[in-house]
Amino acid sequence: MKRGIICIAVLLATGSCTVVRAQDQDKVWFDGLARSHFNRDVRVDDEIKDTVSVRNSSGGYNLLDLNTHINPLKDFEVFAQLRVRNAFGGFFGSGTTIDVRQLRASGVIDDRVRFNIGDIFLKQTRFTLFNPDEEFSNQDDELFPAYQQIRHYENFYQENSWRLQGLQADFSFAFDRFVRTLAFDAFITRPRGSTQVASGIHTSDALIGGGSAIARLTPKLSWETHYINFFEVPSSGTTNISIRNPVGQIGLNWTSNLAKGDLIQTLSLGASRRYWLYSNLPNAAPDSISYMSSGMFAEYTNRWMRNDSIFSLEVGYRYVDPGFRSTGAQTRRIDFGSDLAPTVFPTYTNASLRRPVAMFDVLTDIDIYNQNLSGTLMVYNPAFSNVLPYGDATPNRHGGYVNVNVGRKNGLFSGKVNTGFFTEVVGQGTPNRRSFTYINTQAKVQLHKLLNRERMLEMVTGSAIEITRRAGTELSSLDLFSHLLNIGFNAQLTSSFFLQGAIRQLSVSGDEFYTVRDSFGHITNYVRSSFDQRNYLSSFGLHYRFSPKVYANLHYQVWAASFDEVQPKYKYRRLFMVISVDI
Amino acid sequence: MKTQTFFFFTGLLIVAALGCSRDAYEGPLIDDLYGEFEVVDTLRISNLTPNFAEGGRVKFHSEFSKPVDWKLTITGQTSGSVKVFEGFSSSVDSNDVQWAGSISEVPFFQLENCSVELTFPQEPDTMRGTLVITGVREYDGIVVADFESGLPEGAVVFHQFSMNMTFETAADAPLMGDTYFKMGGRMGWNEWLLGMLDVPLEFGSVEVPADQFYLNLGILSGIGGETASDQYLNILISESPEPFNGNLSNNGADIFQDGQEVYKYQIRPVDWEGWQYVAISYDMFEVKSPGGDNTRTPANITGIRLQCQSCPSANANCPENADIDVRTDIDYVVFTEGVPLLDQE
Repeated sequence: MKRGIICIAVLLATGSCTVVRAQDQDKVWFDGLARSHFNRDVRVDDEIKDTVSVRNSSGGYNLLDLNTHINPLKDFEVFAQLRVRNAFGGFFGSGTTIDVRQLRASGVIDDRVRFNIGDIFLKQTRFTLFNPDEEFSNQDDELFPAYQQIRHYENFYQENSWRLQGLQADFSFAFDRFVRTLAFDAFITRPRGSTQVASGIHTSDALIGGGSAIARLTPKLSWETHYINFFEVPSSGTTNISIRNPVGQIGLNWTSNLAKGDLIQTLSLGASRRYWLYSNLPNAAPDSISYMSSGMFAEYTNRWMRNDSIFSLEVGYRYVDPGFRSTGAQTRRIDFGSDLAPTVFPTYTNASLRRPVAMFDVLTDIDIYNQNLSGTLMVYNPAFSNVLPYGDATPNRHGGYVNVNVGRKNGLFSGKVNTGFFTEVVGQGTPNRRSFTYINTQAKVQLHKLLNRERMLEMVTGSAIEITRRAGTELSSLDLFSHLLNIGFNAQLTSSFFLQGAIRQLSVSGDEFYTVRDSFGHITNYVRSSFDQRNYLSSFGLHYRFSPKVYANLHYQVWAASFDEVQPKYKYRRLFMVISVDI
Repeated sequence: MKTQTFFFFTGLLIVAALGCSRDAYEGPLIDDLYGEFEVVDTLRISNLTPNFAEGGRVKFHSEFSKPVDWKLTITGQTSGSVKVFEGFSSSVDSNDVQWAGSISEVPFFQLENCSVELTFPQEPDTMRGTLVITGVREYDGIVVADFESGLPEGAVVFHQFSMNMTFETAADAPLMGDTYFKMGGRMGWNEWLLGMLDVPLEFGSVEVPADQFYLNLGILSGIGGETASDQYLNILISESPEPFNGNLSNNGADIFQDGQEVYKYQIRPVDWEGWQYVAISYDMFEVKSPGGDNTRTPANITGIRLQCQSCPSANANCPENADIDVRTDIDYVVFTEGVPLLDQE
């Protein structure tokens, strides 16, 4: 043991075992993306008359994102993404904007420490820093890939990371005994700058910083630890109240090489605190803290994957305290608070009612999405996601889950089943606790292989069920059921031409309570809501693939929603066209 | 294999330790929020003849079957003054809801009978009571002018000589006590300033910073429901060490001249009818003319100027003001430390 410690110390001191290397590049090179996008939306007047809203609207744009990579040195790069965007309807330069969308400098210091400064994409673990997926998105890549790509690209959603501005650095060591590798990563970013909200009143800067250390102790055993802290700097604003939200996590991973595959066991434990610091108090009073929430989480997972990767099984258990708060992992992509309004037809009916955000808006409207971290829990829509609205870090949940992926070697069939059975740790507004069940399934069949046809004919089906129940009194009991159904096909007509179609339907029925929280995240009230709604979307059209990096889509879509007797239903049609070029 | 076993049993241990949910809840109880409302304990008033001048307090208590929005209103039967307590809870707790004679909005309470009403916005129930004020509340603060004995000592008044000019004390509608100071009239030529009151001050003992030093004053406006367009009160505070009024040939005191350390704040427009009581912290004043250290220091204040100004009707600036008298009357001008006067408990 002593020899091991001495070895590590010597290696750290000499730094002789760096594994980071940069690649040789041209001095200046370019890549990017170009897109033409056009929508035409039309209101369908079936039963609801609306003479005060427009009957149809159209919009679109051409854009070019030119990524400039400048490599003045072998291990140094300056990256700038310049966007030229021209909205349809703008002539002679009006409506044309030119923005610097991303700016970053990256490099490797002395062949040892890699760094990024500027716009960076950061992700740690699902409990510390993670950008959980939006509603309905787990089947979009098969059925609505163009919408998903635009949505994620425009909002900087890359593999569940958050796009932040700041500094990040990482380095690693390799050893010949006791500890195989040791990797460190640290960052400090500013998700929100100080802004003036009124005359003489400025909000404070919000910063988030943290680090990770991952050690591979043996080829089978690794240990990891993560820390992150979201906090405000009161001196950068005029308020003396500032949030603090540190979160820590440790984990162990064990890989067993069994006869037919690998079994990976993971044990993760962590804890958080969140509070508001009152500083600069009158009469030189000492700083004090208020609205403290603290909690822990634990997760134990077994994942077995066959050597040929056509079958994997994951079984796990997760516990998240009611008081566990993690700004970096619990911030939602959509905040269903009172300010949320759809871009297309925001009002409807002659009473100019505010149109509720529909399943179609979640799929298509890039402007309802959020790119900022929130220190308090955002509002979610129980009709769209009620089991894990804040991802795996959703507080006040414990239970087990099973995930299965299956496939055939020849690619004829692939499918997956994800299920979870959770309950609340403590009740909300009643000692009775909610129980949650979700069952997500998806199957893809390549029918052309079954029929021995050369041209592709693919069928995709999927289903997502969520069930929420709570026993109790007539006032506090609830029962909510939602079912999302997807069916789609992709038929190859010529070598580059495809006929595509998809139908998606969401049915929600039952009762649930919206939780009302104050600005410090404490529950103050509940609003009981009855759901009896259906969201519907059908999409049919053509896809032309010029090359693997260039495609065009032309789709005709019908989308509608019906609610209970109080909220009028609506129905719209859309003509959607997009041409996308990866440069 | 030993490590596998370690993981397995550790995992089992976690499941066993955490799998037991707690028999607790977060947030208010739903059955309380949505249950039937009943008054469990009726409204009780601890002191029916409070003497606030001697530090008297009145405590209120009531209990309900569930948390509700409630509003406790005390109304002066003679003055019309109002004090309001509001909350969301299952009780009006006498430890929290205590009245020391302050007001929520002007006018101030007098020696008078008061009605007490406890209402619930979401429920039809109302509970009522009465009390008699036997001594009015005396507020903490440095009184600059209450006009009860005329103008403050050393004060200087200047006004234009146009129509209906009223820069004098009057007793017809005081905010506090028996008299107040009228500032108004109608300008016959192209001039914004109608007149002003300059008062010398000496605050050497004040130690609080500018953001905790408040100017409080009542302002009366509106005659017959009409207000002149863009009439306002221009307030200057001087920290000049020069003699207050050494040069008698000036219109008003000397310490507000250009080049002196003077700070300015405008209550603009004064467009309401009746009295309003306004509080402004000293740090909200902007530099009117640079001089001295340009740092707002309450202890260095040497005088205050209250100017009545309005958009003139002449030269077609505001022709609608040709038939309206300007009115920005003032009363009970007080500086307070720490909190505005109306926020004093």
